[in-house]
Amino acid sequence: MTKNQVRKTLMEPLGKNNPVFVQILGICSTLAVTNKLQNTLVMTLGVMFTAALSSWTISLLRNHIPSRIRMMVETMVIATYVIIVDIVLKAFYPEMWKQLGPYVGLIITNCIIMGRIEAFALQNKPTLSLIDGLASGLGYAYVLLAIAFIRELLGMGSIWGFRVLGSWWTNWSIMIMPPGGFFVLAIFIWVIRETIMKEAKNV
Amino acid sequence: MKAKKTFYSERIYPLLFMLIVTVFCILLTSGLHLSTLQRAQANELSFTRRAVLQAGGVDFENTRAGIEKAFLENITLEDGFYTFLGPEGKRYIISVIGPGLWGPIEIMVGLQEDLTTFSGLAIVSQNETPGLGARIEEQWFTNQFMGKKAPFILVEEGTARAENEIDSITGATRTTEYFRNLVNRAASDAQIIIRGE
Repeated sequence: MTKNQVRKTLMEPLGKNNPVFVQILGICSTLAVTNKLQNTLVMTLGVMFTAALSSWTISLLRNHIPSRIRMMVETMVIATYVIIVDIVLKAFYPEMWKQLGPYVGLIITNCIIMGRIEAFALQNKPTLSLIDGLASGLGYAYVLLAIAFIRELLGMGSIWGFRVLGSWWTNWSIMIMPPGGFFVLAIFIWVIRETIMKEAKNV
Repeated sequence: MKAKKTFYSERIYPLLFMLIVTVFCILLTSGLHLSTLQRAQANELSFTRRAVLQAGGVDFENTRAGIEKAFLENITLEDGFYTFLGPEGKRYIISVIGPGLWGPIEIMVGLQEDLTTFSGLAIVSQNETPGLGARIEEQWFTNQFMGKKAPFILVEEGTARAENEIDSITGATRTTEYFRNLVNRAASDAQIIIRGE
C-alpha cells in the first residue's frame, strides 16, 4: 500500500469520481433528507460510518465469501451497521431519531455503499477499503450538505434552523418538497460538469 | 485461487458461511438493542410526559430530570386521561390519534373544567411534510390554542381574533384541515372519556 495509492483512493470520490455528481448514485436519499441541514448532517454521518465499516468488514472476509452468496453477505453486513446507527440514535439522540424517522433505515438501500463494496472492497485490502468507503461517504456528504444549504435557505429562509433572511423573504415551499431536491441537484450537476469538470471530459 | 468444485464447497460451505454471518449479526444487533432498551423506553416515556405537561400548561424545566419531577409532582393518571390540579382549577389532559395528510397525528390536549376551553396542546408524533405540514409542531401554532374554545374554525394565517378562530398555516392547508378535525374531535371525545356521556 503506497502513499500514492492511499492519496488516490482518498481524493477520487471527492472530485472526479464523486458518487453523487459523477456516478449519480444515492440520489433517492439526496431528495428525501436534504431539506434541512441538521437532518442532512446526521444522515451523511450515518452513511460515512456504514460505508467505511462495511467496506472494511467485507474486505476482511473477501477471500472467504463464496461468490454466489456475496450479495446476501454484503446486505447483511450493511444492515447490521445501519441498525447500529439506528439504535444509537434512538437511545442517545431521540429528538434527532424522531425527525429522521424511516430515513436512517433507508441507508441500507443506499447504492453508494453496496456499489463501493462490489467495485472496491472485494478486490482490495481492508485498510484501503476503509479509506475508500470513508472517502465515498465524504464525497456524498459534502454534495448533500451543499444542496441542503441551498434548499433550507430558499425554502425556510434559515440556516441550521436559525432564521437568516428577514421577514421580507417569502419561503419557496417547493424547495422543501421533493421536486426542489430534483431541481437543485440537477442544477448542481450541470454547473459542476460544465465548469470544473469540462477539462476532464475533453481529455 | 481457484478451488476445486466439490459438494462441500458448492453447497455446504455457502450455507454454513451465511448461517454464521447471520447468527453473528443478529447477536450483535439484538445485544445492542437490549442493552439500550431501557434508555430508549425512558426517552419515549419522557416524550409523552413532556407532551402531557405542555398540554396541561404546567411549567417545567426541559431536561429529562426536570420533566420527571414536574410530572410526578403535578399530574395524576386516571382512567384513560390525566388530571392536573393547578392554581386556576382542575385540568383534564387526554391523548387523541387521528389521520393527518400523510400519516397519523397523535396529540395531547389539555382542557379546562368546562371541557371546551383549551389549556394547551402538544404534538406527540406526526409525519407531515417537513417545512410545510410539519410546521404544526412550531410553538406559535400550538400555543394559539391556549385559552380558546372548541369547536374551532380555520382562518388565514395571522388573522385569528375570536376565541374559536385558529390561524392556519400558509402552504399547509390540507394538514391544518386534518388537524382542525382532530382537535375538534378531541373536545367531543373528552366529554365521553371524562364525563362518560
